[in-house]
Amino acid sequence: MTEDLFSQAAASADFAERAVSPMRELGAYEALWAEQGMSVKRLAELFRENPGALPSDIFADNTKALTMASTVLAMLREKGICRFGLRIHRAGEYPRRLRDAKNPVELLYFQGEWELVETPCVAVVGTRDPSDEGRRRARRLAQSLVKDGRTVVSGLAQGIDTEAHTAALEAGGRTIAVTGTPIGDCYPPENRALQNRLARDFLVISQVPVYRYAQQTPQYNRLFFPERNVTMSALTSATIIVEAGDTSGTLIQARAALEQGRKLFVLDSCFGRGLKWPEKYLERGAVRVRDYEDIRGALASDAEADES
Amino acid sequence: MTLKLTKVDDLIRHEHAWVGPEDKCFFLREYTARAGYAHGETNDIISNLKKKMDRRGKPEWRWKEWAIDRVGRELRGVIGDKAMRTVTIVPMPPSKCKTDPEYDDRVLQIARIMTAGLSCDVRELVLQRESMPAAHECEEGQRPKPADYFANFYVDEDVATPVPTRILVVDDVLTAGAHFAGIKRRLLERFPEVILFGCFFARRVLPKAEDDFRGFVPDQN
Repeated sequence: MTEDLFSQAAASADFAERAVSPMRELGAYEALWAEQGMSVKRLAELFRENPGALPSDIFADNTKALTMASTVLAMLREKGICRFGLRIHRAGEYPRRLRDAKNPVELLYFQGEWELVETPCVAVVGTRDPSDEGRRRARRLAQSLVKDGRTVVSGLAQGIDTEAHTAALEAGGRTIAVTGTPIGDCYPPENRALQNRLARDFLVISQVPVYRYAQQTPQYNRLFFPERNVTMSALTSATIIVEAGDTSGTLIQARAALEQGRKLFVLDSCFGRGLKWPEKYLERGAVRVRDYEDIRGALASDAEADES
Repeated sequence: MTLKLTKVDDLIRHEHAWVGPEDKCFFLREYTARAGYAHGETNDIISNLKKKMDRRGKPEWRWKEWAIDRVGRELRGVIGDKAMRTVTIVPMPPSKCKTDPEYDDRVLQIARIMTAGLSCDVRELVLQRESMPAAHECEEGQRPKPADYFANFYVDEDVATPVPTRILVVDDVLTAGAHFAGIKRRLLERFPEVILFGCFFARRVLPKAEDDFRGFVPDQN
């Protein structure tokens, strides 16, 4: 169906008929994800083929969608989650900047204070197995970002992500997690308390479908981790890579940041270690930075450009 | 991109104690009610919208006017001109009577902006007998209940004809839904056949489960 058909329908139909029902959209989104062969790419293709569509326009069986929604709510309740929020493309509060992603998400789950995404957000990411120096750098960066009133966004993984979140908290700042697991699930398990704290006092965001995730093996669920990096980049104005190897999933976010027109900062310490990626991304438009002062300068000039 | 209204359905109704499964309530935006501080555009619009009348004439007053205009335009955009002509638009009465110095007709102004230049049926169909304290300024447990609003609301017979068939009650913020429940009861009592809708610019989301039904509004600047 073309955009025209959808907008004509929208103009002529009753406003109540065309309103978004969050329960129905949750069910339709989860039901689409439950279909065989579904992936982030395939789902985005479906929405590209149906401009203007809601999940329930594509998965039109309302009864099945509502059954799926009930199943998902029961699954979440079992994990102790009674309250969460949704962001649905075309409903209010869905962040437009998510559309900069190559395969933008149509629906997000969240816990906590959604408005934090409207604060100045910078992602701090890197390897799950950093050096001691890498850990220290992540912490210092997070503290400096907090001092400047910025919100530290990361992925709640081991290593750099955990350092970034905890240092931001210790500095009395704000921090957001974009997870590669559904709300209610946690990886790694030792970050459960951290995730709970973020969900309670800050913000945890997940695009991962609850039902599909529970149905498939970790081997397939691993694929959600790089996808959340793309979303994290889209949600933030800049990504800082603290430390990463040539095969690190972090580089997914590096690529996404550049594709989405976001700033990508690579710490000086990533260079000269026999790694190929730092030079490669430098050529593509990343900014090599010695310390936080360089980042602050670049972010400030960005903000000025936005205001003019 | 055309935005859509969101329905208060089974997923979120529990956050609005007085909204029932039979109610047809819709909203455009959401904000998290926080005591002390607030982020985000929706919070910003609402705190400007709720600026008290004693700020009139001060430089900040233009922000209230800006917010009223913004809300009116956004609601018009999501409802659509065509749909607007199919309903009688009824602004939710403010907490204070017209004679009260704190009388704030912002919702009426929003309804006028929603319908500017359209031949729409906008009626102040429901008025109130006495000023009531603004719900968000009441102590916990002291907030008026639907029955209190019902008792205080009356239908203005001067504008009661022609009999409306579909009424869209417009309000700025949906908290517990007590105002809506009160006006609904009054309108259905007078017009038993009417189909009633509620349309809110934003609904408030409580930050934590234990805060259910307390209903903060953003800080007044």
